Amino acid sequence: MTEYVIIGDGISGSSAAETLREEDPDSDITVITDEGESLYNRILIKEHAKGKLPEAPISIHDEDWYDERDIDLSLNTHVTTIDPDEKTVHVHQDENISYDKLLIATGGTPTQLPVPNSDAAGVHHFWTFQDARKIKESAESADDAVVVGAGLLGIDFAAVCGAQGVSGKYLMRGDRWWRYALSADGAEIMHDGMRDVGVEPVFDSGVDRFETDDNGQVTAAVDPNGERYECDFAGVAIGLTFNTEFLYETDLEMENGIVVDEYMETNLEDVYAAGDITRFYDVLLGEQAQNGSWGSAKEQGRVAAINMAADERSEEFQWVSSYSITHFDFPFLSFGHPTLGDDHAERRYSDTEWRRVAFKDGKIVGGVLIGDLSPQSTFKQLMREQREVADQADVLLEQSVDIDKLAPAQEQ
Amino acid sequence: MATSETVDRSPALRRVESIPADATVRHVDQLEPSTLTWFLEAIEAGPTAALEAADLEDGDVIVFTACYRIDRS
Ligand SMILES: Cc1cc2nc3c(=O)[nH]c(=O)nc-3n(C[C@H](O)[C@H](O)[C@H](O)COP(=O)(O)OP(=O)(O)OC[C@H]3O[C@@H](n4cnc5c(N)ncnc54)[C@H](O)[C@@H]3O)c2cc1C
Repeated sequence: MTEYVIIGDGISGSSAAETLREEDPDSDITVITDEGESLYNRILIKEHAKGKLPEAPISIHDEDWYDERDIDLSLNTHVTTIDPDEKTVHVHQDENISYDKLLIATGGTPTQLPVPNSDAAGVHHFWTFQDARKIKESAESADDAVVVGAGLLGIDFAAVCGAQGVSGKYLMRGDRWWRYALSADGAEIMHDGMRDVGVEPVFDSGVDRFETDDNGQVTAAVDPNGERYECDFAGVAIGLTFNTEFLYETDLEMENGIVVDEYMETNLEDVYAAGDITRFYDVLLGEQAQNGSWGSAKEQGRVAAINMAADERSEEFQWVSSYSITHFDFPFLSFGHPTLGDDHAERRYSDTEWRRVAFKDGKIVGGVLIGDLSPQSTFKQLMREQREVADQADVLLEQSVDIDKLAPAQEQ
Repeated sequence: MATSETVDRSPALRRVESIPADATVRHVDQLEPSTLTWFLEAIEAGPTAALEAADLEDGDVIVFTACYRIDRS
């Protein structure tokens, strides 16, 4: 009987556990997590912090779910080291758990700002359900807040401010939000969305230090220009530090994340990885890539489990990810790898509509749609088919994309 | 459950202003690719394909720029 151990009960670990049970009904499956609750919906916790969603629907699996599938779940259990030669996992209670096959699905932890008082009370990071509860509590009693981190997670803090009636200052280092994927045209639509909910973007700013009161509670952020912004709480989302510290004594190949192939295999025998933590071989992109999104993490967990149970390279990971922002009146969807590639085309259609398509070697590798999401399935299809379409960008930028207007694939 | 008076062009989707504690709620990024396409088309122009094509249950709530409940009745 095969013993599978999964470290992490986020969506990637949990989806792997479910698939392993289906694929290998007689196996032993252990899921270890250092969180105190079983799988919950990490991408809905922002709605809870906004005050829009009660706690109950955010839970995905209760502990019975694991019992029913004969999966051994260890909550509040932190893995401190692994020994790939002995095939054991060591947990903080001084216990060794042996495995035949191991899946590492430990995701990341928000990075703290390297500035004075960044650990003060009221300076929040956003990753766990517990974080969301605390952010909600702070926001409900706050008048003013500061948000730092001009990316996909930072904007969730801005949305919490908007929904909770908190006046926010969104301090950004450059001249726009998510400058790696959006031009000034696209970003301006997002800035207007922020302003509409009462959050003012502040450019060429950031945080040099936080000020606190005598109780250690944050009271203000001071930016590199010396501007002082009073706040009752601050939201920091400047990036993720991958949870790999328990792997440092191994020979596991890491490169800001765990390197895996398209089968989710690491360089160590019988050790797999899935989810945010991987630097995986993206078969559509033709190179190693990273992805921090729910759908991709779920699929990586499933594919890893298929290959673990098959005991061979049975299925490769091939996925076009999506990441939406739903906080404003207009929708936003980023797909694939919008910040990669060697070329791009973009167009603004109205005050709330903008589109960018990123290309590599003439093929679509990602993009961003604001306002009008209707071309998303066409663009994803072209990505999967790896069609060379960069020379027909005018067709891709028409308001309504007609795939039949593209030169047939075989003629290219 | 409190629902708004807003009835969308799609008979299968109803906009709701609050979400009950016992609802099954999904963020739009959790939808399978074909369901996402169905959902976005349904919001824009009314459903162009049968709801049966989408893996959604009656009463499921989808979080998008507003919250939408699947209404098969
Ligand atoms: C606020 C927020 C909003 C988001 N919004 C979206 C969105 O709109 N759309 C989207 O697609 N994605 C979104 N994401 C990203 C998405 O949630 C992640 O990509 C996905 O959840 C990653 O899943 P994972 O299983 O790889 O990692 P995680 O969910 O991070 O799970 C890893 C688990 O491993 C545990 N762990 C770590 N180290 C150890 C150890 N040593 N021992 C034991 N356990 C350990 C952690 O505690 C954690 O429970 C959002 C994320 C956040 C935080």
